[in-house]
Amino acid sequence: MNYNLNKPSTKKPSTWVALKKLYQFLGAEQKNLLQAFLAVMVSAGLNLTGPVLAGYAIDHYIQSKQYSGVLMICGILFVMYLIAFGANYLQGRLMGSIGQRMLYNLRNAVFGKLQELPVAFFNQNKAGDLISRINNDTEKVNQFFSQSLIQFSSSIFMMIGAGIFLLSINFRLGAASLLPALLLLLFTRLISPWVRRKNAANMKSTGELSSEIQESLNNFKVIIAFNRRDYFRERFEETNAKNYKAAIGAGVSSNIFTPVFGFSAQIGQMIVLVYGIYMIASGDFTVGLLISFLAYVTNFYNPIRQLAALWANFQVALAGWDRIAEILSMESNLETLPATTSVNGNGSVLAFQDVYFAYPDGKAVLHHVNFQLERGKTYALVGPTGGGKTTTASLMARLYDPTKGTILLNGKDLRTYEPSERSARIGFILQEPFLFSGTIRDNILYGNEQYKALSNEQLTAVLQEANLESLLSRFENGLETPVLASGDAISLGQKQLIVFIRAILRKPELLILDEATANIDTVTEQLLESILKNLPPETTRVIIAHRLNTIENADEIYFVNAGEVQRAGSLDHAVNMLLHEKRES
Amino acid sequence: MKKATGKDHARSKPPGLMGLVKPYKGLIILLVVLAILSNGLNLIIPKIISHGIDAIEKGQLTLRTIIIQFSLTGIFVFIFAYLQSLVQTYASERVARDLRTRLSERISRQSYAYIQETNPSRLLTNFTSDIDSIKMFVSMAIVSIASSVFIIIGASVLLFTIDWPLALVVLMIIPMIGTTFYLILKRVRGLYMKAREVIDWLNKVITESILGAALIRVLNAQQPEYDKFVAANKDARNIGLSIMRLFSLLIPVIWFSASMATLSILALGGHFVITGSMSLGDLAAFNGYLSMLIFPIILIGFMSNVIAQAGASYSRIQGILSTPDPVEPGTVTELLNGDIALNNITLQYGQKFVLKDVSFSIKAGSRTAIIGPTAAGKTQLLYLLTNLVKPNAGTITYDDRDINEYQKEALHQQVGLVFQDSIIFNISLRENIAFNEMVTDAAMDKAIETAALKDFVASLPDKLNTIVSERGSSLSGGQKQRIMLARALAIQPKILLLDDFTARVDKNTEQQILENVARNYPDITLLSVTQKIADVEQYDQIILLMEGELVAKGTHPELMQTCPEYVQIYQSQRSTSHYELQPE
Repeated sequence: MNYNLNKPSTKKPSTWVALKKLYQFLGAEQKNLLQAFLAVMVSAGLNLTGPVLAGYAIDHYIQSKQYSGVLMICGILFVMYLIAFGANYLQGRLMGSIGQRMLYNLRNAVFGKLQELPVAFFNQNKAGDLISRINNDTEKVNQFFSQSLIQFSSSIFMMIGAGIFLLSINFRLGAASLLPALLLLLFTRLISPWVRRKNAANMKSTGELSSEIQESLNNFKVIIAFNRRDYFRERFEETNAKNYKAAIGAGVSSNIFTPVFGFSAQIGQMIVLVYGIYMIASGDFTVGLLISFLAYVTNFYNPIRQLAALWANFQVALAGWDRIAEILSMESNLETLPATTSVNGNGSVLAFQDVYFAYPDGKAVLHHVNFQLERGKTYALVGPTGGGKTTTASLMARLYDPTKGTILLNGKDLRTYEPSERSARIGFILQEPFLFSGTIRDNILYGNEQYKALSNEQLTAVLQEANLESLLSRFENGLETPVLASGDAISLGQKQLIVFIRAILRKPELLILDEATANIDTVTEQLLESILKNLPPETTRVIIAHRLNTIENADEIYFVNAGEVQRAGSLDHAVNMLLHEKRES
Repeated sequence: MKKATGKDHARSKPPGLMGLVKPYKGLIILLVVLAILSNGLNLIIPKIISHGIDAIEKGQLTLRTIIIQFSLTGIFVFIFAYLQSLVQTYASERVARDLRTRLSERISRQSYAYIQETNPSRLLTNFTSDIDSIKMFVSMAIVSIASSVFIIIGASVLLFTIDWPLALVVLMIIPMIGTTFYLILKRVRGLYMKAREVIDWLNKVITESILGAALIRVLNAQQPEYDKFVAANKDARNIGLSIMRLFSLLIPVIWFSASMATLSILALGGHFVITGSMSLGDLAAFNGYLSMLIFPIILIGFMSNVIAQAGASYSRIQGILSTPDPVEPGTVTELLNGDIALNNITLQYGQKFVLKDVSFSIKAGSRTAIIGPTAAGKTQLLYLLTNLVKPNAGTITYDDRDINEYQKEALHQQVGLVFQDSIIFNISLRENIAFNEMVTDAAMDKAIETAALKDFVASLPDKLNTIVSERGSSLSGGQKQRIMLARALAIQPKILLLDDFTARVDKNTEQQILENVARNYPDITLLSVTQKIADVEQYDQIILLMEGELVAKGTHPELMQTCPEYVQIYQSQRSTSHYELQPE
């Protein structure tokens, strides 16, 4: 499966499809939504009746000089405004909560999807771009939901309500005053896709900007050591200029709504005034009605004016949503297959049966690989760099599935194992040690349900039992030594120690070490070796290493070269192959 | 607002937001003028309406004038408003772009220690969300405040000219709304601070879950990751809800105040019309101006929030912009011979000693190895030699001259460091290797050949133009390491520093590479941090570092005689050394 998010998509953005998908995230909010809409209608209705009463007062009481009537109307209005106040508050609160909860669901969904996706997804996309999508783009959706949604819905209600009033007071005049709005609708329909596209382009370039900064700042030492401070500046300038252009495009397109909407509001007012005066002259209309009619037109066009700004926000949110939806539409290609009862593999722990593997870009890495690992033995994979050792190990841990062939764990297809069972059985120490920020304790217990609740004393006892305590004593504050994900406070060798402890504590059946001790000194390494030796007798170990003393105790050595895995027989033979085989790397 | 532009006021404070937009004075003035023009013209509309209504009452209909007046104002408002939106976008994006450029220039001149200290991910926030809030300030706050103030003043003046007692009553809503805003925003701001913290935390969870994706999958820790995220997200939601609750009070209060003003207009104005001191048209105009007043008042309230946020963002950015450039006293550009000496070097991170009183010297053209356990300070020693970090005490000399006397660029041009961690940029292989711009094609080819990358490059469909990726699966650990070596060799260094180079490269390739280096760069001074004694037994000097202290130095036979720690390390590797001793 292709996981590259930045491949140009041919699909045209559709507002309805996007809205339908977004609606899913409303979850069980239907009831709240209904209440909110009721509140919106009450407050919009009351806000609309206000001018009617005012107009009535002018026509019937002020012009006929009955002040008590005016006061009576004022009293009614006061009560109405009080109720409107309550409804207004309720409407804002309900809609606001719905927005917040929806954002919460949306973020969880994106993050949950991210966790479902396989490693290949992360290899095909830049970290900076992914971070930008999850942070900035959900924020754009958030901004709309938390700030604009209330106004958006109440504006639409006000507009519709005012429109109905306009038509019911005087149909001809009302229809005439709504004419510009119709043109506006057409204009919006035509222009919106363009606005959304421009905003999507802007977000894309923001993602590029953020990955550019991420890459340069994280690798700053190379930039300094090779006199390339200008590289950072130039590369940045380039993306900055690109971002500037995209942002201007997005701004110019989004800002077109406000003046156009404002203009049509004025036309609407003018039509009412001119047409109204004409009707008064012909005796069909009164001055009082014209005044309240004008107020309605304002009531109709003011929300439309607000909608102009909100509509731009809405397009931005939709563009952000499209980018998030791209992630949500990804499916993991590592499904768990239904369990089968057929067991074979001749009692081996792990077996590769005619396994082929190629990366999505078509680069073939492994072909026709067959081998079996027996329980309790130690295996070593040696071979030139780029020969396929790490790929073989990654297939064992099901970070990828083979393109062809099967891998059997305890005689059953690896793909039929539940992920939890698989990861409990297979431990894999990756080539690049990764630590989470927190403490050493957090890191060695990461993903370890069994020991999670232990106190530091109990944990120390467990570590002692596994002979791991002496490794831990190398850190100044023991379990509580702080760890920062980035930075050089902890050396590469120390990171490898922590990662080693983490893997051993999980007591896997099959433990794979991919150059796990490459940067650890040989004296400490001997200690690690003795720890490995003392693992339960049924533990199978697979070691990838360049240092020969790391692998000299292996029961069996496999030579991995040019995508093929051969049994090497003895260490001598393996060394010989290393030195003399034709290599491809 | 207006005051801050006064020269005396601006000087006493550190340059604030007004200082930021000062260079764009022309644009900003144009923006404000356009905003005032388009909004000012809007004020005329109720006047036209009220004239029209009064005209009907008096029976003097002039439809033609009304239409002309109306359409002219409408068209001009449209033109000004559209121009304003264009200028607005242009101005804010320019301010943002220029600020980003200034930031990147400032940052690019800083030391490695500075970047580590300020933390790359915080700098990323400076480049993105901080700049965004400043953009918001330029594009929205300036225009909104200018035009709102103008409309409020304009509408108030007009109200007063129509009927001043009624105007006073109506304008009472301004302080009422102002107080509400003040009270609510004060509480919201505290919540915003909290929200920012929670969002930072959320971002960290996201970032780590992306960078540690492979590990999470190996450990099947997706669920705990998800739970961690949900916990953070829940906090974010709860703060969001609290902020929303405050805001949902704000709008109804404002509406209610405005409604009260409408009520007063009807009650009092109605009275005035009945008593004959006010015309019906004036009453309509009063209503019109009132509805005009409310929106600007709300706008100013919200903009005060935008300004506060932009101010906080700008002071963060200002903090970086005002960091002085590191002083570069070094002027010497002479070619290095290759003699290196460390005299009583001590390096500390906080209380922790990384290196303690380390002294040794290296002769030009010789080969020296540094051996020592994990966390002995080996890598930091190489960083000291390349000026990436500075010692707390002691001096480093090249050819008997202090390292600080050399011009940094000149030094980096001659000292090649192969980092322990593989750092590959997302650019072509050629650019990755010829990373330094001075590299000639011949030098690059020689480096590629030396690093045994020739066959690998030839196997790529796009050869040297292949784009290699950040953490891509396309390169193996050993290939990355060799690219790092080629990058260092391509600058034709006098001194080559290797940090655990052989850790990820297989035996055969390693030997071939070391032979290539000796053949192609015969005069090079080599300092190699390594774990394997067998490789360096022939070296002129071996230095044993442990926990930051120099335990022993000498040749292999000397150390075997005098240093028990060295012998222990040697023993730990001895069992397989007979394999490693047969080179061929």
